[in-house]
Amino acid sequence: MFTRMRRWFRAVGHGGRLDDQMDQELAFHLELEAAKLERQGLTPEAARTEARRAFGGVERVREEVRDTRRTSWVETILRNVRYARRSLARNPGYTAAVLATLGLGIGANTTMFSVIDGVLVKPLPYEGSDRLVLIRQSSLLAGQDDVLLSIPELYGYRDQLATDFEGLVEFHQMSFDLIKRGDPDRVAAGVVSANFFDVLRVKPILGRTFQAADAAHGAPAVLLLSNAYWKTRFGGDPNIVGQVFEMNDRPHTVVGVLPPVPIYPQESDVYMPTSACPFRARGEERIAENWKAFSNLRVFGRLKPGVTIEAASAHVATVAARFTREHAEAYRDARGFGASALGLLGELTRNARPMLLILLGATALVLLLACANVASLTLARTLNRDRELALRTALGAGRRQLVGQLLTESVMLGLGGGIAGLLLAAMTQGALGTFIGRFTARAADITIDGRVLGFTAVVSILTGLAFGALPALVTRPGPASVLRQSGASAAGPRQSRLLRGLVVAQVAVSVVLLAAAGLFMTSLYRLARVDAGYHAEHVLAAEIFGNFTRYKEPKDYLRLYKPLIERLSQMPGVQSSAVGTVVPLSQQGQPFLNAFEIQGRSAIGRDRPAADVNVVSTRYFETLGIPIVGGRDFRETDTTESAPVVVINQSMARYWDGADPVGSRVSFDKGEHWFTVVGVTGTVRQYALERDGVAQLFIALNQSPFPAGASVLLRTTVDPVSMTEVVRDTVHSLDPDMPVEHVQTLEALRTNYLAPTRLTAMLLGLFAGVALVVTLAGLTGVIGMSVSQRTQEFGVRMALGAQPGRILTGVVRQGLVMVAIGLAIGGIASMFVGRFFRSYLYDTQPTDPATFGVLAIALLAAAAVACAGPARRATQVDPILALRSE
Amino acid sequence: MTASRLDLLQGTLDLLILRTLSLGAMHGWGISQRIQQVSEDVLQVNQGSLYPALHRLEEAGWIDSEWGRSPDHNRQAKFYRLTKTGERRLAEETRQWELMTTAVARILSSEA
Repeated sequence: MFTRMRRWFRAVGHGGRLDDQMDQELAFHLELEAAKLERQGLTPEAARTEARRAFGGVERVREEVRDTRRTSWVETILRNVRYARRSLARNPGYTAAVLATLGLGIGANTTMFSVIDGVLVKPLPYEGSDRLVLIRQSSLLAGQDDVLLSIPELYGYRDQLATDFEGLVEFHQMSFDLIKRGDPDRVAAGVVSANFFDVLRVKPILGRTFQAADAAHGAPAVLLLSNAYWKTRFGGDPNIVGQVFEMNDRPHTVVGVLPPVPIYPQESDVYMPTSACPFRARGEERIAENWKAFSNLRVFGRLKPGVTIEAASAHVATVAARFTREHAEAYRDARGFGASALGLLGELTRNARPMLLILLGATALVLLLACANVASLTLARTLNRDRELALRTALGAGRRQLVGQLLTESVMLGLGGGIAGLLLAAMTQGALGTFIGRFTARAADITIDGRVLGFTAVVSILTGLAFGALPALVTRPGPASVLRQSGASAAGPRQSRLLRGLVVAQVAVSVVLLAAAGLFMTSLYRLARVDAGYHAEHVLAAEIFGNFTRYKEPKDYLRLYKPLIERLSQMPGVQSSAVGTVVPLSQQGQPFLNAFEIQGRSAIGRDRPAADVNVVSTRYFETLGIPIVGGRDFRETDTTESAPVVVINQSMARYWDGADPVGSRVSFDKGEHWFTVVGVTGTVRQYALERDGVAQLFIALNQSPFPAGASVLLRTTVDPVSMTEVVRDTVHSLDPDMPVEHVQTLEALRTNYLAPTRLTAMLLGLFAGVALVVTLAGLTGVIGMSVSQRTQEFGVRMALGAQPGRILTGVVRQGLVMVAIGLAIGGIASMFVGRFFRSYLYDTQPTDPATFGVLAIALLAAAAVACAGPARRATQVDPILALRSE
Repeated sequence: MTASRLDLLQGTLDLLILRTLSLGAMHGWGISQRIQQVSEDVLQVNQGSLYPALHRLEEAGWIDSEWGRSPDHNRQAKFYRLTKTGERRLAEETRQWELMTTAVARILSSEA
């Protein structure tokens, strides 16, 4: 063993020297032979010639020795590569089919790998990002898995966890109006602790980040720009630092620009220190008496060196438990309250993870299928090359050389497919980034980098070996058997079985993909058609939220909204117009749940009821097409002068246990103020199409106790989009500085809401479609080959008077049997696979009979068509020709 | 080729080389001469096929080689000798050869 290894190393290292030694050895032999012949009486000249003749070609012997030696493996590979190139160039059809199939398979996987690597695996682009955690509070028994922190809670954690965290910093988002030249702009502002970016270790690319002094009371207002906002709104102006912007009537100085980093939980256009938010400031004033003051914060921390995330999480939970003991009243409704520390990366990508893993599973199946398909193509080709391979065997090529040759070809094809796949991945990357951006802020981290290239290279080579090994293993060309034979060579029973097995495998994999795609599409179809409780057609919505500086009181809003509704209602093409704080399926969507009590009903022994509170104008329900199912709608006569009234939805009416809510009274502040329920509306799936609508309560705009920025809604008889400018102009004629944002139709909102689901279903559908086409092509190929082999048999049968129809159905049946077996295997596999994504389906079981029924029929029909071509060829065999070729 | 000179059957050459080397180290030409002499010129070794065979056997680990001075010719030559595995291999091949020849001989004589 060791001697062999030593010799091998020696040989690899000194291939040239061994060649010299061999020359010496052969020369020595020839000399001795010539000398012997000379002694037998030949002239020296004749002796040398005779010695060479007897030897039989020095060059050939040298070659043969080199072959047995296995030393010049580099040479062998190069020779194999040269040979493979020639051989592949002679079969452009085969080569193109394999490159296309593998390109699709590897391309899909490269793309998904780049996404998974960029989103789920790569560390966040902050220094030491694995030490960053998010503190998450939840109240699981009350059904809330994300309870934002109040200011006192943040301070509590900060004081009691100083040994675990280098710093705990806060984030919340609000909107500001940026008044520039042109239309006013509403910007999303992230309001953060002064040391927020220090804890994240994000360095500005221009200027500086915040300092403690920026957050001090009365400090000059400062602003950090996000990278995206700086680029899109200011064209990447390098002199931006120091410029002053009017935001909400107050000058803010730009102090820096951030690098392009994802910020959890959402991106902001600009960042401000905590002192910039008046609502937070008001909360801060009340922290002594209100433990839950300004419960709007997300809190991040950096673990101190040596502290594990588990230990920190346990300490966070301990502190949370202490809170519930010391401030029991504040947590009365937060049943099952607790808190933990979670890794930031996991949280940042939580929404994307399941979909990405499902898609990765799908692409892995596509690659598996591509391998099976190419293996059957290659096997068929190898069988057609029987004569060539046999000839080479006869000329002295060993089995090892032949297998090496075949594997070289398949690995070259694998690498070629990898290059095609990389091109495909590069082309699809932009579109994919947009898709992923709907799930996670990390879309920008998706790139084709060294890791992706390495992945593709490894996958390509493994793919080549995988699809090449199978044909290489079953090929046993005996020189005699094949050379004797003339005409088309035949697949032996072994190879035929393998070919059929590969077709069955392809069908099975396709069925799994088709089933997944079909289930997602069925689910999407049902979700898209679900009755959401309102009529989305012909309604335009526009956000006119106002800002807290100029719209301080409810009456400030009334002064804008009243005339706005009036003017818009009179526009030609407008059927009705209203305002409301809530627009179905708008991006802002989070229910704003408030606990309430019903006068005269005890809440003891049951869940304290809670409802999503909204403010709407008259004709809001009419404009959205929400039916009033009991009582009445709001009237213009419901004003601050009259009794305060509310309208509730049917979902909220459940709390009356079947009694009529109309006429009873509800309160949100433990009986200080009471509202009379005057009407009940149908429930709208306001925030999510998948779930029943939440309990909702509506307050009349005229009676709103708090200032509420709202959206204007227009039901039109014309194309609602054509009213966009009318809305903008009307708003600006009333308040030139009011931003008008997100002007969209309700149908567009609904379409947008479904976009991620639709894209997932479409991608799965695309993969399944590719799988189906590849599989059917493979089926046609295998049936075609079997028909060619049976030409004589068909000829004889035709000559004996067989009906062409019988031959046709016989061939098609042969194909359908394989498909049926694959269908059965794939169907069973799908049931298991379906369990993994059951929770992402709407109203659709993984065993959905309609989906599987359609799938089975469609697949069998498509397979019958795929077999029909070769089958027709079988019926057109000319008996005379077929017999003559015997 | 006369009837008295036989081409070697495939595989037989290996056996002959191993047997020849079991007598002691020898260079390539020596092996070919030896086989010819001992078989009394009946077996003609195709000299061209000798060297690939030698390298193949070396590759298989049954023989080993070394450069040394050839005493008769006073120059460097490559000498081959049998390894331990080669000895076992020789025993095995010899046994098989005998089995086969006996069997073939039996068939031939029974028909007569």
